[in-house]
Amino acid sequence: MVTRCRALFVGVAVIGYLAASQAAHAQDKTIKIGALFPISGPGSYFGAQDKQGVELALEQLNKTGVNGYKFAVQYEDSSCAPLPATQAAKRLIEQFRPDVIIGEECSDATLAVMPVIEQAKVPLLNAGSSSIKVTEPGNPWTFRIMPNEVMQGVNLAENAYKRLNARTAVLLFENTNAGIGNAQVFKDTFTKLGGQVLAEIGFGRDVNDFTAIATRVAGLSKIDVIPTYTLEGQGLKITQALAQSGVTKGGGGGTIQIGTIWLPFGFEQKAGKAALGYIRIVQFDPTETRDVVKDFTAAFKAKYNADPTHLNAHAYEQIMLIADVVKRGGKDPQSIRDGLAATKNYSGVTGSVEFDRTNQNTKMDTVHYMETKPDMSWTSLKWN
Amino acid sequence: MTTTIVLQQAINGIVLGSLYVLVALGLTLIYGVLVQINFAHADFVTLGAFAAYFFMHLIGAGYFLSIGVALVLGAALGWLINASIFTPLRRKGNELLPLIATIGVSVMMQNLMLAWFGPIPYAFETPYSSQVIRFAGIFVSWQNVIIIAVSSLTIALLYAFMKFTFLGKALRAVSQDRETAGLMGINPNQLIMLTFVIASALAGMAGAMLAPVLVLTPFAGTSVIVKAFAIVIIGGFGNVEGTILAGLIVGLIESYTTQYLNPGLIDIVVFALLLLMLAIKPTGLISERREENV
Repeated sequence: MVTRCRALFVGVAVIGYLAASQAAHAQDKTIKIGALFPISGPGSYFGAQDKQGVELALEQLNKTGVNGYKFAVQYEDSSCAPLPATQAAKRLIEQFRPDVIIGEECSDATLAVMPVIEQAKVPLLNAGSSSIKVTEPGNPWTFRIMPNEVMQGVNLAENAYKRLNARTAVLLFENTNAGIGNAQVFKDTFTKLGGQVLAEIGFGRDVNDFTAIATRVAGLSKIDVIPTYTLEGQGLKITQALAQSGVTKGGGGGTIQIGTIWLPFGFEQKAGKAALGYIRIVQFDPTETRDVVKDFTAAFKAKYNADPTHLNAHAYEQIMLIADVVKRGGKDPQSIRDGLAATKNYSGVTGSVEFDRTNQNTKMDTVHYMETKPDMSWTSLKWN
Repeated sequence: MTTTIVLQQAINGIVLGSLYVLVALGLTLIYGVLVQINFAHADFVTLGAFAAYFFMHLIGAGYFLSIGVALVLGAALGWLINASIFTPLRRKGNELLPLIATIGVSVMMQNLMLAWFGPIPYAFETPYSSQVIRFAGIFVSWQNVIIIAVSSLTIALLYAFMKFTFLGKALRAVSQDRETAGLMGINPNQLIMLTFVIASALAGMAGAMLAPVLVLTPFAGTSVIVKAFAIVIIGGFGNVEGTILAGLIVGLIESYTTQYLNPGLIDIVVFALLLLMLAIKPTGLISERREENV
């Protein structure tokens, strides 16, 4: 009898131990996320703000975990350029062995890392690159949350023509895949609607003084809108030079500067009066009344004592979408890829997500328009 | 309208050229005396820009005082880095070591500035940035007037120093023949130090002048330095007058390329000129009129 009781006790103890260790093991499981962000160079403001969004998401998710999984992120500096991005992607894949990768922001860098990541059969979730080539003709391992250059460019051109009554435009863009692509889409749509593009002015990232470009623009006939596609630093200088030459509203002229998702919040304060009337697309509207937006904005303010930017928001969104996939059973690169592809009507801080056959998010509620007001704050235009 | 645009672009080109000259002068001075390329020069420019920015925005000092602070900081840092890094390496007798060290100093300074100032671009507005003079369809900001005035004054002072002072003549002697100058009682090491201090002070000041024009990040100087190297080569390595002329030519080329061709072609035009100079006149624009450099 004693022997039988002892055997029963030992059996229960072993089962208990196994169950407990199983639970502990489940809690130890980690989804490894590689992050390719520009941490150095002219696009490094992307990386700094992306990291804030990622850290907030990790803090929230790792309190309890998702389906027994915690999340760990390894950052690599991809520098917003093809070569360093490719090297960073290889380092991530070989040393960290991620289950999923997020980033890059700049299209040229994203396009460069896509073949490397595809070869490793790891899903890449992108939020910041607008070039159509990222999802056309389609790569089974690359997904994009943000609207691509065609979705943004067509929408921007239609709004310029119909809402702003613009009939003439001058295109200013950096000579990169994204810059050239964005400008081309605007031109195609705008001219098809009946508008006229007076000049297309591309420039390298090493241009600092935009007075000569502003002089050339000022010498053209009446311009209604100037779609501008460049990173924040050059964007500041262009906006100031255009105002100085008296072309744009900020300089007393009548032309409206417009743009897509390139510039962070806070741009208008840095540019000063020159940014008056600037209308641009952002990927996040903190004035939205949805709970997910209000909660994110409050949590961000509590952690960083600042309002979140759209870069903060879309980085946060990337991690939260991965968490949603893990909740639906994602646990390794293949199942996370499949989970991403099966995403339907995910509602996040930037808007909703649902991928088409090319893995492009089809939802246009991620496009938000804002306009700079005279006091250098901005207002949401609610155009979409 | 056409004449106005031509004149406007000429002004734009002269402003840009003046900025390039300020950066390139330090490079050419160091090369003239040491026959050494200083890859860290761009970072002295960036540091000067940040020094002026923080002096203005944190302490509330005026812009001109901030230019002075950037100049002094540049000079002090030039002295410190030359004394602690370059001089000991030069003593080893291998000329490659200080050259490589300039690359190391450059990377170190960039990353230190990245850690201190962060990656997000700063907007450096001076009280003169938004004040614009308009006359007969031409516009020029007071900031650009200051750039032209300060650059001209600096160039004149440097020229007078090199031409008419004992130290300037001694520097030119060292640049021609360091050993013979030493035999004549000139201490080459002190003059090398002086060269570094002057070049770094110029870089610091150039940073303060450039900051309102540049996209101010820890990598700001690197966007200008490639053009500055091209200017030094076109002007003739070590030749001050050649550098001034080449700087202004490059500034004007940039403006007119932007107006009549495309700003995307600027680098092609400038570097085509550089290659042309190397092929036709490798000694630089006005080197034939002078036997000595610096």
